[in-house]
Amino acid sequence: MFTKNTLKPACALVLTSLFLSGCASKIENVQGKPSVYEDVSTTGSVGGVGIESQDVVAMTDQMMRDMLANPMLTGRSTPPRIIIDNEYIKNESTSVINTNMLTDRLRIELNRAANGRMIFVGRHFSDMVQKERDLKRDGAVDGGTIRQTAAQAGADFRLGGRISSLDAIDRNTGTQSRYSQVTFEMVDLELGTIVWSGLYEMRKAARDNVVYR
Amino acid sequence: MNTLIKSMAAAAVCLGLLSGCAVKSASSTDLIERTAPITMNSVAFTDYNLQRTWSRGFGQVEDGERYRLSLVQHGQRPTATGTTEVYVVLRNHTDYDYRIEARTQFFNQDGVPTDVKPTWQRSTIPANSIATYRELSTSTQPLQYRVEVRELN
Repeated sequence: MFTKNTLKPACALVLTSLFLSGCASKIENVQGKPSVYEDVSTTGSVGGVGIESQDVVAMTDQMMRDMLANPMLTGRSTPPRIIIDNEYIKNESTSVINTNMLTDRLRIELNRAANGRMIFVGRHFSDMVQKERDLKRDGAVDGGTIRQTAAQAGADFRLGGRISSLDAIDRNTGTQSRYSQVTFEMVDLELGTIVWSGLYEMRKAARDNVVYR
Repeated sequence: MNTLIKSMAAAAVCLGLLSGCAVKSASSTDLIERTAPITMNSVAFTDYNLQRTWSRGFGQVEDGERYRLSLVQHGQRPTATGTTEVYVVLRNHTDYDYRIEARTQFFNQDGVPTDVKPTWQRSTIPANSIATYRELSTSTQPLQYRVEVRELN
């Protein structure tokens, strides 16, 4: 049926196509090694309806970027002095969260990104500063190398805010749903006006029996 | 003999055409996006379930394509304080709401990564509708951007 002359090209064609298909892709599309570390900005292996690391990262990142785009805060010829701490952040929600996580991350990231466009007053360190000032003025230590001022820095703005939530539970399935709302407001410390506001909200539903501590 | 060769050739051509029509899965290593060069001022679907293309090979004019979401438009504009705002308008072609997350990496004019570490921002695109993702830079220098979009886990 096949002559020798027709079989040879056919075989060569088959071999060539096999070689070519064997070299088709260099990508090895496999999963890497499992790790105990997880990305803080994405949903982890344990997740519930509360405020979690990815929410903390996302909301503080969003607020930081928004503040830097606000001309009332960063468009001034003299950089404003700002206090960001958890003194006026109230957690009225059912979520268990240390509000310092929000304000610390926001202040640190903002301070790094602002690069002098805002000046941050460390009011939560005021005791530490006052002790050193007293030692200097008492002559127990020398005056340092930078400067002496009449008093500690007063602030122009301070961050306030509130965390609130609304829970719902389906008794048939046990699914729990929680709407969380986190507000941030920057208050003028002379006038009492609010010069900037930020809102972060989310609703999560889960049946996982996750305990937050 | 000639008839046999002709039949085999016809079968081979048909097979080639059919294989060109086959849909590549999101995990396929033949997807064009896997090895596409990184370009500035662009939007990429890093989740290939949302959008993927592949070469159909010899004899096929167009590349193969499957998508659930598509890009309507994107761009950047300066804010009042000189930072950069990037916006991306996405379209959902399915009958289901899609929850996605997106992030923006900023680069200076020389292509050097700058600005703060990008963070995934969640958003929902309603069924058969559009939604806009926005991101602000923290730096006031002129920037280029690359936005990445994936489905929310």
